[in-house]
This record gives sequence, C-alpha cells and structure tokens, in this order.
Amino acid sequence: MSPFFKKSNHNTDQTLRYLESKIVNEHKNKPISGSLEDNIQLLKNIFEKDLDYSFRRFELFNQIPSAIIYFQSLVDKEKINQDIIKLLQEHRMVEENKDKIPQYIIENVLYYNDTTTVKDMSKIICAIMQGKAVVFIDGCLEALELDVLQLEKRSIDEPDTERAVRGPRDGFIEQLSINISLLRYRLPIPEFRVEETEVGVRTKTKVAVCYIEDIANPALVEEVKQRIDAIEIDGILDSGYIEQMIEDNPKSPFPQVINTERPTKVVGNLLEGRVAILMNGSPSALVVPATFSQFYQTTEDYNEHWVISSFVRIFRIIALVFSLTFSSIYITFISFHPELIPAKYVVAATSGRHSIPFPVMFEVLMMELSMEVLREASVRMPQQVGGALSIVGVLVVGQAAVQAGFVSPITVVIIGMSTIGSFAVPSYNAANTFRMLRFALILLAGTLGLLGIAIGLMVVVNHMLSLRSFGVPYIAPYAPLNIKALKDSIVRAPFYQLKKRPQNIYPQDQTRMGEMVEDHTDYNFLEERKREKR
Amino acid sequence: MKHTDSISSIQVAGIIASTIIGVPLMVLPRFIVAEVGEAAILASVVGLILSSISLIAITELGKKYKEYTIIGCNRLLLGKYIGNLLNVLIIVSMMIVMGLEVRQFAEVLASGLLPNTPIEFSIIIMIFLCTLAGFRNVSTFAYIHFFYLPFLLIPMVFLLFSIKDLETYHLLPVFGHELSLFQFMKGAFLMMAAITNYFVVAMLIPYIKDHENCVKNGIWGLFLGGLAILFCIVMTLGVFGVQELELLYWPVLSLSRIIQIPGEVLSRIDAIILITWIFAVFTTLFSHYFVAVRGTAEIFRTDKFNLISTIMVPFIYVIALIPDNIYEIYDYGINTAFFVLIIYIALPIGLLIIGRIRKRVRVQ
Repeated sequence: MSPFFKKSNHNTDQTLRYLESKIVNEHKNKPISGSLEDNIQLLKNIFEKDLDYSFRRFELFNQIPSAIIYFQSLVDKEKINQDIIKLLQEHRMVEENKDKIPQYIIENVLYYNDTTTVKDMSKIICAIMQGKAVVFIDGCLEALELDVLQLEKRSIDEPDTERAVRGPRDGFIEQLSINISLLRYRLPIPEFRVEETEVGVRTKTKVAVCYIEDIANPALVEEVKQRIDAIEIDGILDSGYIEQMIEDNPKSPFPQVINTERPTKVVGNLLEGRVAILMNGSPSALVVPATFSQFYQTTEDYNEHWVISSFVRIFRIIALVFSLTFSSIYITFISFHPELIPAKYVVAATSGRHSIPFPVMFEVLMMELSMEVLREASVRMPQQVGGALSIVGVLVVGQAAVQAGFVSPITVVIIGMSTIGSFAVPSYNAANTFRMLRFALILLAGTLGLLGIAIGLMVVVNHMLSLRSFGVPYIAPYAPLNIKALKDSIVRAPFYQLKKRPQNIYPQDQTRMGEMVEDHTDYNFLEERKREKR
Repeated sequence: MKHTDSISSIQVAGIIASTIIGVPLMVLPRFIVAEVGEAAILASVVGLILSSISLIAITELGKKYKEYTIIGCNRLLLGKYIGNLLNVLIIVSMMIVMGLEVRQFAEVLASGLLPNTPIEFSIIIMIFLCTLAGFRNVSTFAYIHFFYLPFLLIPMVFLLFSIKDLETYHLLPVFGHELSLFQFMKGAFLMMAAITNYFVVAMLIPYIKDHENCVKNGIWGLFLGGLAILFCIVMTLGVFGVQELELLYWPVLSLSRIIQIPGEVLSRIDAIILITWIFAVFTTLFSHYFVAVRGTAEIFRTDKFNLISTIMVPFIYVIALIPDNIYEIYDYGINTAFFVLIIYIALPIGLLIIGRIRKRVRVQ
C-alpha cells in the first residue's frame, strides 16, 4: 500500500487514534521480539478465540525454528504450502548473519512476488488481518510478510441498474483490483493514474483515485484527495459513504456525485477530465464533478447516431419534468383553475369526478402514496413474486379503485404517467430526488394552486442554481450559459461538433478530436476503380 | 472583502434586464397612458434613454473604484458618518420599495389568480422565497437572474398572438393630443422611475470581471428589459386604445385574458402569463433584497447573510401591509419612486464628482 498523501489535517491524528482499534494502538511502534516464542504468544493472546487463526511451526533451512501465521479464511493455502513453506524448509543455509536472513530469503530463496520485511508489531497485526501470511524467525528482529490473499469473487456481468441496449456489457464487481484492471485495459496510457489511500479507521478500506494526468485539472485532483483525506469515520461499507462525505452541500437532496457500475462510463468521464473514485468492496464507482445534465445522459447516447440519441434525450427530459410536475399541475387545473381547461375537454376531465368523495389533492396524494408503497414492495420482493405483485397492484387495485368510486379514472392515468416518467430517468438517485420533491409540489399545488407550483419550482430551481459540485456549477451549461457546451446537453451533437472537452471542468488539454473524415456521399470509389481499369 | 466569485458583464446585462421586467409591467401602461395619452410610446422611449444615465453613472463609478460597492464608495468618499447615513438610507429605501412591490404583486395575484387566498399569505411566501434563495454567493445571484430571463420573455411571445386585434389608429398620433412638454416629461419620468431599479449593479462592482465592456453590455441589458416593457405598452395601447385602457386596472392582465392561442391547448393563458410574471417579480424583489441584505452586511462588516435576511422579513412584511388599499399603494409607490430615483441617479453622479474633486485636492 502506498499512501498518496500525508494526512494534512493537524488534529486528525488525535481523533483518529480515538476511533482506532485499541489493540493496534497498544502495539504501535513496538518492534517485534527476538524470541520466536514471545511473538507467537503475543499473537496467540490476541487471536486465541478465533476459529480461522492458524499458525504452523517449521524449521527454516532445517535448522532455525520459525513459524508462519495467517488466517485460513483469507489465504490461498496451496500457495503457502507449495511456494513458501516448501522452499523455506528445503533450502540449505548459506548466510551466517541472522539479521540478514530475511533479506537473504527474499533475494535468494522465495520466488514469491509480494514479499516484504516488517519490524513493527502493529503493522504485523494489521497485515495478518488483511490476508497476509507472516513468517517469524527465531532470533531475528524482522519478520517476512507475504501477500497470499485469496477472496471469493463473483463474475463480471452487466449491472442491473444501468442497462444498455448497445455498448459493452461488463460491470464493476466488489474487488478493487479487478475494477482497476477493467479501466486500465481500456486506457493503456502512461498518463492514467490510480492513486491509493485508506479510508475508515476500522475497515481500512482501500480507495483509489483515478484520473488522466494530462487532462484532469490538478487543482481538482488535489481537492478530491483532500476531501477523501478529511474523512474521519470508523468504517465505510459502500461508495455511498464516501459520496455523502465529499459532496459540496450535504443538505441538498440532489445527487452531486455520479455513481456508476459501468467501466465505460468511468472511462468516458476520465477522458473528459473528471476524477473517478473507486473503492474496495463496492461495485459502484464515483465520478466528480457532476453536473445535473449528466443525470439524464447515458453512455449509450454516444454509441447511437446523434439524431436518435438527441431525440431520446429530449424525451428523457420530458419524462423528468413529467415526474416532477404532472400530478401537481393536474391538481391545480381541476381544483383551482378549471377555466384553463379548454371547453371541449372539461367534460372529459371532470366526468369521472362526480362520485369521488375526496378533494383532488387528497386523491392524488393517496394514489401517489400507494404507488410509492407498491414500488418499494416490488424492490424488496423476490423476483419471481415481483411480477405478479405489480400486476395485482397496478391492474387489479387500480381498476377496483376506479370502479369503487374511490378515485377518478383520469387521476389513475395521471399518476401512472408521472410514475412511469420517473422510471425513464436513467439515474436512479436523480429520479428519487424528483419523486420526493413531487410530494412537496403536490402539497403546494393543493394549497396555493398555480402560485404554489410556481413558488415550489422556483425554490427547486434556485436551490439547483446555488449548488456546486467540486466548484462546477450544477446547472452548467445552462447557468452560466455556455453556448458551445449546449451541443452536448439536451441534444447530442455529432462527434465532429464536439471537438473540445467540456469547458466547465477546466481540463488541461482541451482538444479531443482532430479533423473529421470527409463526406463520402458523392464519391463512388467502386465506379472509379472500374473506370480506371477501362 | 475577500472573495473568489466573479461575474461577467454579460451576466450583469442579464441581471439588469431581468430586474427591470418586474412588478410595474402589469400596471405601467395605464399609468403612462393616463398621463400622456397616445404619446405613451414616445414618452417611454425617452424614459428608457433617460434611465441609461443612471446605468452609465454606476458603471463609470465601478470602473473608477473597482474594489468597492456603492456602500464602500459612500464610506470612502463621504467619510464614515455621512457615508453610513446614506447607506442606511439606501437600505431603508430598498426595503420600502420591496415592501410596496410585494404588496402590488399580492394584489394582482388576488384579483387575477387566487381570489380566495388572503394577500398576507402571498406576501409572506414571496418574501420567504427571496430569503431562501440565499445571498452568500454572488455568482448564484447572477445565475438565477440569467436562468429566468428567457422565461420572463415568454409572455411577450404570447402577447404577440393578440397582434390581430391591434389597431394602428390607437397608436396615433405619436406626439399625443396637445401635450405640454411638462406633461410629456411626466410620462417619461414614470417610465424612467419604473425601469430604473437596477441599482443592484452598484452592489456587484467588486465581482465584475470585465469593467471595460460593462457599459456597453449593461446598455444592451437595459434595452432588452426596457423594450420588453415598451412592447407591453405598445400592445396594450394598440389593442385597447386610450379610452378603454384608462378603465382597466391591470391592462396586461386584461390583454392576456383575451388572447387565444391556436390549437386550443389551453382555453386561457392568463394564468401562464401570471406565472411567468411571478418569476419576473421574484427576480426584481430578489435584486432589491440583495442590495438590502448585502448592504447591511457590509455596513456591519459581517457575512451572516442568512441572519440578516431573516431579521428583515418581518420589517418588509409590515411595510407591505401599510397601504390600506390598492390606490394608496400606487400613491406611496410614486412618491417613493421619486425619492429612490434621486438615490439611483444623483448618488452615483455625485460620487463621481466628489471623487474627482477629492483627487484634485489631493493632487494639489
């Protein structure tokens, strides 16, 4: 592990020591003992009760008493047997000086890769916990540390939450090293940096900060590192922990960091000059800085023809706006401003309502609530039951509610539209935010009519305009308006129009494309060949 | 004050335009027409041109004292006591203007959109909206203005649909019927008072990146906002004519009620126009509030903007409730407009002159 920066906060050490494990603290900076038995006894005192703790005595070079200590559950036993103990036992001693034995072993005996020597007891304790095997040698003040970690991992398959019709199918998994390999084989350049640090005093989770050195703005990279460094917590279990602790405005319901399980999305963002944060134990990577427009864009937009993807993007935005405002606009039209409905539609809009006992707001609120319950239930349900549940919920309950005179048919239509609209948004967390704000808007619309909607929307928009994600305005490129960047916002311009990287994140290297190949429509090279032959 | 924020002169233009389009939009045509009759258009153009004096004075002041807001300028050039007295005057007048405007807003809303909602409720919710928007970040302030600007221009597009009802003889003669110059200038003054409300620019001076283009772009912003209002005056006058216009309390609202847009998507669009007008009112009030809050913060040399803005809420609310009825609002409104116009125009010019004199004195 190579910590990429020193802890900059001066009072951090104090607090961290507070959070840290006491056993590790006790042994901090304590050298290991020269006697093998003392060392074994010390570790035994700590790990005695553990099922998977194991140590094995053997004689190094058939003469020096030694022991190898590891956790069975974390290591590859085959490696320990074949590559370590066997060699250590069979080799014949040449070196006489006991202090030089560990170095000698590394240089001449073992051909095993990840081997180092350690002196500090607390480091040894931590190393054992992280799946390393430690070899103590009697009379020697250094121990050998061998990385033999082996973990079960699942296969690389397509992420469920971000499906794409066209594009690579691989997704991140929980192991950091594999995730990095997925990125590195797409970016075989020496400028691609993967810097590593540790977050969580107890979980000691490895976190990697990835960026492309000559594209990403160094100030941005520095800021990301500092914010990750400032995290003081006992443990992190998912990248969501990091996300919430590095975002600019923790009070805001809007997602200010992109999370994705698709390596292609990360690479695309890295190439634009953004910084990615990966974490051991979580399949979702974080990308900063994020602008709001990224939450309705997908990587697929760049794979398809630009006209098609622009078309799809426009519909996504409509869906987003629908999911936010549709039900509240319906409420105001029916209960406050029926004069706005064209005369021909008044009957259609209100005909189902004569038998409904509730005011529209109550009706809509009730339906929205039951829709949320249904949605939450279908997430928790096992997959086999989930389909049946949604059929029962949507068809049977909805139909029955209308027939019972509980809700008007048009309300069901409106609620259905707004719910489906929220599912058309590619980003799950942005859709959630809008779903939550929808309830606030419904309440405002039910009490203040169009004024309520206007005020509610203004509060939302003002808040979004005040947000920054790592210094980048959240609503860029709309505010501040950047005409050039609008080419990749609501629409996706063809590639030859997108020669520059997005300016709002200040990349070092701004050009990403050369000249476009010429237009081939007028030139029939097959005919030309024929004519030449003649 | 140390800061890392900055805004461009184009954003300043956006701020000016969206501040100008605001509360008076609804009522201004009637006021001007009542004063000068058919000469309303010409009078408004003159008013628009006169209004640019204030803008030029403020931006010139900005060029000269790049590090200071108007509050700082007052303190620098007039000394601590007189300067701070003027500063308090600015802030109080801003609060009064804001109170009266928010009251007007609530009255229009009560008659046009929400007849059953008490006006107190619309007043307080609007003030809270401004408070929530926050004053910490100057660039956010600029973003908000720039973002809403297109929405403010939507009503103009809708009003265009009424062009088929426009009668050219309503607009003629351009010079009005037997107007004295005094009457004409009174109309021009009304227009000037209505659109010279972009004093907030004077609070943004330290944050402007390019002072060189500020005058040019500022004038563009002024004309964009001014033309939008002028357009409303032309349309209302053209459609209703002088006689009818004087009877309508809110001519633009009445005009929006008779508009029919093709396709029958909506049967009436006055609610849509009122909504965009709510946006316009918000941006205008936000500008006034910004001057008051940040000005107070600068006087006390703090950055507790949230605290100050929260403390100001009840004061503005009380000011808004002082006038007894809608006629009194406009009486108060015109009186304060005259007073505030002195601050807007005379103060920056005075500061420029004093600055020059002090410099000369220092040189000698």
